Amino acid sequence: MDYLYDESFEGFLCCVYRHYYGERASGIFPAGRYQHSLLNACETVPTDEGQAGRVYAALRDRLSRFDPRRIYLVFRSSAPEKEMKLLDYIRLGFKEGPKTGLLYGNPVVRDVRQAEDRVVREVHRMCGLLRFSEVRPRGAAPGHGGAILYAPMEPDHDITEFLARHFCDRFREEAFIIHDRRRGKALVSAAGRWYMTDFGDEWALAETGAETRYRELWRGYFDAVAIKERANPACQRRFMPLRYWKHITETVPYFTSSN
Amino acid sequence: MDGAMFDKLKILSDGAKYDVSCASSGVDRTNVGRVGNACAAGICHSWTADGRCISLLKVLFTNRCVYDCKYCVNRRSADAPRASFEPGELAELVMGFYRRNYIEGLFLSSAVETSPDDTAERICGCLALLRGEHGFAGYIHAKVIPGVSPEILARIGFLADRLSVNIELPSRESLGLLAPQKRAKDIFGSMGQIAQALAEQGELRGPRPAGAPRLPGANVAAGDGSLGDMARGHNAISPARPRGRREAFAPGGQSTQMIIGASPESDRQIIATSETLYRTFRLKRVYFSAYIPVSDAPELPERASRPQLGREHRLYQADWLLRFYGFAADEILDEANPYLDPFLDPKAGWALRNMDRFPIEVNKAPLEELLRIPGVGNVSAMRIARQRRFAAVRYEDLKKMGVVLKRARFFLTCSGRYYGGKTLDPVYIRGQALSPADIRDGMIERAPEQLSMFGDSRSRIPIGTAQGGGHGLSLR
Repeated sequence: MDYLYDESFEGFLCCVYRHYYGERASGIFPAGRYQHSLLNACETVPTDEGQAGRVYAALRDRLSRFDPRRIYLVFRSSAPEKEMKLLDYIRLGFKEGPKTGLLYGNPVVRDVRQAEDRVVREVHRMCGLLRFSEVRPRGAAPGHGGAILYAPMEPDHDITEFLARHFCDRFREEAFIIHDRRRGKALVSAAGRWYMTDFGDEWALAETGAETRYRELWRGYFDAVAIKERANPACQRRFMPLRYWKHITETVPYFTSSN
Repeated sequence: MDGAMFDKLKILSDGAKYDVSCASSGVDRTNVGRVGNACAAGICHSWTADGRCISLLKVLFTNRCVYDCKYCVNRRSADAPRASFEPGELAELVMGFYRRNYIEGLFLSSAVETSPDDTAERICGCLALLRGEHGFAGYIHAKVIPGVSPEILARIGFLADRLSVNIELPSRESLGLLAPQKRAKDIFGSMGQIAQALAEQGELRGPRPAGAPRLPGANVAAGDGSLGDMARGHNAISPARPRGRREAFAPGGQSTQMIIGASPESDRQIIATSETLYRTFRLKRVYFSAYIPVSDAPELPERASRPQLGREHRLYQADWLLRFYGFAADEILDEANPYLDPFLDPKAGWALRNMDRFPIEVNKAPLEELLRIPGVGNVSAMRIARQRRFAAVRYEDLKKMGVVLKRARFFLTCSGRYYGGKTLDPVYIRGQALSPADIRDGMIERAPEQLSMFGDSRSRIPIGTAQGGGHGLSLR
């Protein structure tokens, strides 16, 4: 049986519940992206907090206290067929117990840990590569008040909410928006508190005057600190893949000139 | 005014770019001021066209210098544009960059405009402005100018996260020749003071290999008359006294840097000096910087010579062995082998000289033995140690755990079986462990010395065809 869910983590946990208390799952898919086929019957699983909670508690108690977090990180990744990989991991986990995550040789564990590493790595990478601009809503009166920090990004994985803790602490007194343009969602934060919301490109945000000045200074610095006798663009791109360059202040000039 | 600031930043970052360290690591701190925090792993924000990361805004406070160190771009006799920051404008620049997430903090170094004390006083003023008026809680790395008075150094230490005193050159002779105004005594005096202050707050922690006890052994290796010998006098660092939590002195520890290839020291001397520094002052890092010709002084390599990047790379590998793999300097290189093998990493080189210790059984050997296997790193060694508590590690598992079997298979057994071939002969293994690509890449880096008569340093020697097979390199 193919189970379809509403793209939420709770929905996914309910599919796991169904796998154990109903028919075995042959596939778990987000309802919006499912291709119907003749081979497999499908069923849409309603999201039920009680069922999700029971699965969650079982993961915590019978696997290890690290596993709910691991499973959530992988759930936010864009690994292909992540739902089935996670189900395989959970099934193995109920058999093997707390040591499951340490069985590096097992292909099921390896797939999950690899996906986890990718997400964790991108979160860390984005903590550095994110670039904020000082903006204010178009039409707002210029002046010092009302400026917001705005950072657009297009990460590989759905990591926006994992950035919250780091940036809310760092910019405790600022208002800021981290916008995942690929997924049309954003983290909105002010005074150390935050929430997630849908966010489109239709918001009209105008850069402040100081913004241009700091950008120019930063680009000048970026070029000046490179030692030309040691030029190694391949190394640069290994650390900072080209797909991120579009939203990085100092690489934008290179990005547009090479396209 | 903006144009002036642009030029100033360009001049003062251009003068600072040869400082290698850009680490923002070693301190975990939530936002204790108004803006900023620090993350123990460090965060890189960008990478320049030379592939080096930008984590901190690396600038000089001024590049007007009274010293005349021959290897330095900012030496008094150099014909270069000069500039200085005002404390206020630099602090504002740091905050502007930090808010936009361009940087993780500030790396502030300086030329010596009148005297070390005067310059340090001004650096101290700027840092105090950042920490105080701007409420900046991000990372600050301050460069200490040798010879600065202990009082000012103590004040800078309470403002900065990491301090560094550059040792500049690997031996006292070279220092005397190339940087006559910098004295070894001053350099070690400042390093010793920092180490002492860290010891007093119980934070004098050097790097250590996985599973090793907190403090490395006390026996300091022989040091062939290098600067390290002088450092020995400071060995008597008093034990930690427990203290309440309050503002900390340089919680990120201290580091240093030396220039490679400007003076004639061998790799062996350089590594011995590094080891002495790690053991004596428990430095977090010793950075190496391949000399880039900026001067026509007759004591230095000529301007057309290329920086020894390959050598720098091998030295860093050796440095990792010292810090995280439990190696001693005299194991990595000895009297008969004063230079690192350009074609093979230092650990493989050591293993081939000590084949009697191999193969190592991955399911039985203790962690520190696993770390000695070429192709097994800290992460894969830990994974092996963890998994084998539950299930025997199979040969097929090793690759999935991140072991580089291309090298490792010659040095290990898995449940008693050897996968490397018929013989444990080092010459055979060396030939097998080098792929033709390794040899070719090795040649590019060695090319400047070896191909000078052709004038084209980028051409490649088709070593495989010339010697019939590509495995014909002999052991040194």
